[in-house]
Amino acid sequence: MTSVDSRKSAPAKAAGASLSSTGQATFDLALRMGGLFLAIVLVALAMFILKPNSFNLDVGISVLRAMSSVAIMSLGLTLVVVVGEIDLSFGAMYGLGANSLAVMWILLGVPIYAALPLAVGAGALVGLFNGALVTWLRIPSFIVTLGSYNLLYGVSLWITKTSTFNPVYPPPGSEIPPAELDFFTALTSSFGSHPISLEVVWMLGLAVLVGFLLHRTLFGFRLMAIGGNPAAAQLARLPVTRYKILAFVICGMLAAIAGILDFSFIQTAQPNIGLSYTFPVFAAVIIGGASLSGGKGTVIGAMSGALLLAELQQGLALLTPGPHVQQLFLGFVTIGAVALDLALTKIRARRAA
Amino acid sequence: MRINGLRKRYGATVALDGLDLEIRPGEVLGVAGPNGAGKSTLVRIIAGEEDADAGELFLDGRIWSPALDWRAVAIVHQEPQLFPNLTVAENMVAGREGDGTGWPRPSDADLQIMDALGLGSVRDIRLGECSLAVQQRTEIARAVARDARIFLFDEPNSALTDAESDELFREMRKLAESGRVVLLISHRLGDLVRHCARVAVVRDGRVRAILSGEALTEDGLARQLVTESTGAGAPASLRAAEGPAEAPPMFFVRRWTSQGAFHDIDFSARAGEIVALMGVEGSGARELLRSFAGLERTTGDIALAGATNIDLRRLRAYVPATRALSLYSNFSVGENLLVRLGVPDIAGPLLALKKSRMAAIAQQSVRRFLVKTSTTTQPIRSLSGGNQQKVAIAQALNCKPDLLLLEEPTRGVDIHSKNEIYHLLRDYAAAGKVVIVFCTEVLEIFEVADCAHVVTEGRLSRRLTIADYQHIEHLATEIAGLEQSLKTAARALSPVRPRPAQRLAGPG
Repeated sequence: MTSVDSRKSAPAKAAGASLSSTGQATFDLALRMGGLFLAIVLVALAMFILKPNSFNLDVGISVLRAMSSVAIMSLGLTLVVVVGEIDLSFGAMYGLGANSLAVMWILLGVPIYAALPLAVGAGALVGLFNGALVTWLRIPSFIVTLGSYNLLYGVSLWITKTSTFNPVYPPPGSEIPPAELDFFTALTSSFGSHPISLEVVWMLGLAVLVGFLLHRTLFGFRLMAIGGNPAAAQLARLPVTRYKILAFVICGMLAAIAGILDFSFIQTAQPNIGLSYTFPVFAAVIIGGASLSGGKGTVIGAMSGALLLAELQQGLALLTPGPHVQQLFLGFVTIGAVALDLALTKIRARRAA
Repeated sequence: MRINGLRKRYGATVALDGLDLEIRPGEVLGVAGPNGAGKSTLVRIIAGEEDADAGELFLDGRIWSPALDWRAVAIVHQEPQLFPNLTVAENMVAGREGDGTGWPRPSDADLQIMDALGLGSVRDIRLGECSLAVQQRTEIARAVARDARIFLFDEPNSALTDAESDELFREMRKLAESGRVVLLISHRLGDLVRHCARVAVVRDGRVRAILSGEALTEDGLARQLVTESTGAGAPASLRAAEGPAEAPPMFFVRRWTSQGAFHDIDFSARAGEIVALMGVEGSGARELLRSFAGLERTTGDIALAGATNIDLRRLRAYVPATRALSLYSNFSVGENLLVRLGVPDIAGPLLALKKSRMAAIAQQSVRRFLVKTSTTTQPIRSLSGGNQQKVAIAQALNCKPDLLLLEEPTRGVDIHSKNEIYHLLRDYAAAGKVVIVFCTEVLEIFEVADCAHVVTEGRLSRRLTIADYQHIEHLATEIAGLEQSLKTAARALSPVRPRPAQRLAGPG
């Protein structure tokens, strides 16, 4: 992460004072991000050489669309990881977000304008549940969220009665007012000459919002502190419990939003959607430089991680070497990114110590 | 053992600059020096954790290197680095299990060593449940069992009680008498004088002096350690003039009780005062200080500057005994200084951080609290221990509390930083605040406090005014006497059972 006052202090101090670690910290970040961007460009270049015909703007836009739900969830997970906890349940929350909306709106006839906030609210409630168990009962977050992952999937199966929903073809007996259907599809409608889905705009807007929250507010500063040294934060009377719960709540809400947006785009909701997103989202956050031990992580990193993954996935799908290659790459990139990071840290430590 | 021309550089910093040292068999050699003098680098090189850039080590007249024979070296740390989940006996054999397939057991020789170190009775207890002293002795036993030749005691007793320290030093001398090479690295000058035949003073990466015999006194060592004497030895003149005795107290507790730690305590402090609470581990002194910070479950009345109970939350700040509980390793120096602040100091509407304001406060605190750092943005870990401690205290001072509570504020800090920290505390109290310090050393009380209370078995002694004592010896005698009489009084009444020390316990 960037230091508090990098720009301010540098000129205030004597220029000769060795290589300040301001420079060092920003240099590290630049190196990290530079490496990620380089990887993103290299992958794009490789695709271009291998398959020049399919390298066009529309493919690029489809990559952005494809990354958006992973990216939105990675924003929430970044907050939880920064505060030193883990959330395994957001994938199931993504499913419950879409499915609870489908059930309320299509099956029970709740107007979309009410069902939508209720579904996002369910995400907040689940976050509250996770956070409360982690902070008040002191159950490790890995266990709490492993449990709630299964609970949420169970609820999804239960309320949908394992059926699939599509608002365009509602089940017999239900009727969707056309205005509500239009509103719902408009959430992720495409615009422009090279059609780009509004979902990408949602993703960017949320990234800016969470980025501001994490890197420019007291909330984010304290999340970093709590993740860095929870015992000290507790003794210094920082609001540890409240902030941890809030991180889980935001993570749950963002997962619900991602599920709803994908539902709007794809137009179908099934009970088991989202479950397979768990590990790609973790991969995005970790490739982006967050540390699972807490106190470290950036929004730009998580977004870049999500972009690299989506690019690989789309590119490899175009090359059609088979589904196994995507999985192999996901594995290599995740381990490789962290290994590279550790190697760089080691080199720097040896030089600076 | 002989060390010749040891050199080590870290980037632009020279840690060791041609260090020569000779350690004779049968003696305990002390090593003293201010923080950053190169002591820890020396330890790391002998232990084989770092390679020297130049220089040689000789053992028994032959050239030797820890890389060739790591088993020869043993380090006894302040925090033992063993396996808390295994029993003492299992710790003893871990790493030397042999090639058997069964669960490893200690050999007869191991059992003898453990008995000799008084570990026989705790053999089957999990190490994590044992006291620090037992853990350290286990570390020694392990080293003896593998026939280590070189023993490095690195600040071994900074967290031990007096009785435990004595025990440890007895073992240390026994090791030396058996012909092993023993080094004691310590900040505590008294221990060095008492337990070492010779003490090498390391400054700027070299041995500047070796004191022995008559010349080896605390005063002599202190003089060698402090290049520029900063008011050391003149504590009385620093002390604020005693305010009018009838000035109302700014902070007080009444009938202050915490189950199992202390009982029915009446305590008060006036603005501008530094009050010391003294007591050994388990006496209740540490718990009493923590209770003032709201970290213990208590009954009774508390008031600070007119506010009571919940209202006084923002009025007080607490500095824990270890820096591991106050500093954030993922943060820079500046961020560490600011981390306790909130709206409106460093954040405004929408909780948005005021970045330029933060930079200004950080710069200002670095100057005001004498933190030696080249920028406010370098990692906190790059600072020396003394400067990290200043940051830990400054972090609390930045909240401008009316009541500042510190636990052992100069533990493991070199003498120069120590004096600077005392100045900071004195200046802060002089601004009309109350400072309460938990101390374990009389010297610290003598140098920083205006008055002191001794805590024994959960009871508070009468108030001692430090200015009444011309010499530290007088104060030490008085404190020892008070401790004794309190103990007797406590025994006569219903005894409050002191509970075992909880060093790293979270807030209550």
